Amino acid sequence: MIKVNNLSKSYGEKEALQGISFGVKEGEIFGFLGPNGAGKTTTLKILTGQLAADGGWAKIMGFDVGKDTNQLHAYIGVVPEETNLYERLTVKQNLDLFCRLYGCSTEQTDYYLDQIGMTQDKNTQVKKLSKGMKQKVLLIRALLHNPKILFLDEPTSGLDPASAETIHKILLELNSEGKTILLTSHNMEEVDKLCHNVAFLNQGQIVEAGSPVELKLEHSTRRMRVLIDEGDGLVSKELDMDGEESGAILSQWMTDNKVRSIHSCEPTLADIFVKVTGREFS
Amino acid sequence: MILSLKRIGAIFIKELHDLKTNINILIMYIIPIVIAYIYDKLIPGMPEGFALAFGLLFLVVMVGMYVPSMMIAEEKEKKTLGVLLLSPATPMEVFIGKGLLTFVSVLVSIVFLVFISSGNGLAHLDIILVGGILTTLFCIMVGFIVGLLSKNQMATGVVGTPVYMALLLIPMLGSMGSPTMEKIAKAFPTYYYNDMLYMALSGLEEKKTLLDMMPEVGILLGSLIIAFGLLAFVYRKRGLEQ
Repeated sequence: MIKVNNLSKSYGEKEALQGISFGVKEGEIFGFLGPNGAGKTTTLKILTGQLAADGGWAKIMGFDVGKDTNQLHAYIGVVPEETNLYERLTVKQNLDLFCRLYGCSTEQTDYYLDQIGMTQDKNTQVKKLSKGMKQKVLLIRALLHNPKILFLDEPTSGLDPASAETIHKILLELNSEGKTILLTSHNMEEVDKLCHNVAFLNQGQIVEAGSPVELKLEHSTRRMRVLIDEGDGLVSKELDMDGEESGAILSQWMTDNKVRSIHSCEPTLADIFVKVTGREFS
Repeated sequence: MILSLKRIGAIFIKELHDLKTNINILIMYIIPIVIAYIYDKLIPGMPEGFALAFGLLFLVVMVGMYVPSMMIAEEKEKKTLGVLLLSPATPMEVFIGKGLLTFVSVLVSIVFLVFISSGNGLAHLDIILVGGILTTLFCIMVGFIVGLLSKNQMATGVVGTPVYMALLLIPMLGSMGSPTMEKIAKAFPTYYYNDMLYMALSGLEEKKTLLDMMPEVGILLGSLIIAFGLLAFVYRKRGLEQ
């Protein structure tokens, strides 16, 4: 669905992208992870035809993003990082504008507002909406022409947990309906929860890529944390996952009914990022 | 290049909705009407046709330039142009849709101003409209150039005010008798619209029909072509989003 090869981009002296390559399959949710300034938004802008790359190429559904921009726009929906809605217009006026531009029925607006539970807000001026509701309007705007691929730049940045959760649910539903999604985020939990595959971007380079589960297993220390009841209180113990000794100890605790919980100690995506870049994720 | 009337219409409708709730811009339509009314009805001894001519020039120049410059600058400031250009809308359709609203609204305001003013404005509506149409189109293009050169709405004041003042005040000063000022004023297309209005409305000139004013119409047409060329040049250099 998306193929990127050796993509590079510089802003003056600063190399924003240093030859990145990756692919996204149809029906996949792909996450670009990285701190601010890593090159996530630059990548997304190149892929959506808003910015020209200096080198390399990117193809979406066979279209060259640098040359076939107009054809490409029919197949992609973009949710930008900034809330770029027309603030004085109502929700419906904002959405109807894009229905008319795409040549689709303005009934689409009512359909998606209903789907996302915002029918009662359709005549509200956008400037009176909360950030979470504006984010939903942005998402509907990107969906009006029924695109095959959705690009989302930091879709839950600045949202409260409840609004972020709603956006996550909507994205998972859209993915289950067959939409391919590429999102950027610096929220590790969000990416872990939503994405089939992720790529860590650091200073314009992909430093690690794979599925969240694979990455965590690959970087796992193969230890587990066991919470046991010693009679006078709970104690946390760590054991190797391998070896007869750990098996015997765990077996004894289980026989003595001491085990209260067992957790594997695989690293979080944030831990992996720090490990591969030597840089704090902020 | 194929232009889509539906997409131009979509942008026109959006701008119309936006205009209805934009107090800053609505005030710009009211000011020339109020000024013309005050000169016409409340100040005695005004030369014949002066109030209407001043109101019309103010309307065409200030609204014609200010509204499109603010439209473009606001889109740049709020970063809404990017998403508009991700849709099938082309930059040309965006310009036409935005300019069309300014054009139609200025024409409606011109007719309104003529109707509420005393004097012989109605008798010379053809001159007022032909000159008004050409000057409005010129001013819309200049307004777009100001919008393209401004980073945000605030910057349109810095970039645009000298241009607005030059196009509004210099032609008026040029018609007050100073030969030097008149020479300078003749370099500005708005001088010729002001001249057409004076000839038609003052009752003092012999040239009173539209046919008599073909040289002025020709100059306005030429100015329009130059403004279009300049707009195309600035757009190519800066694009819509810079």
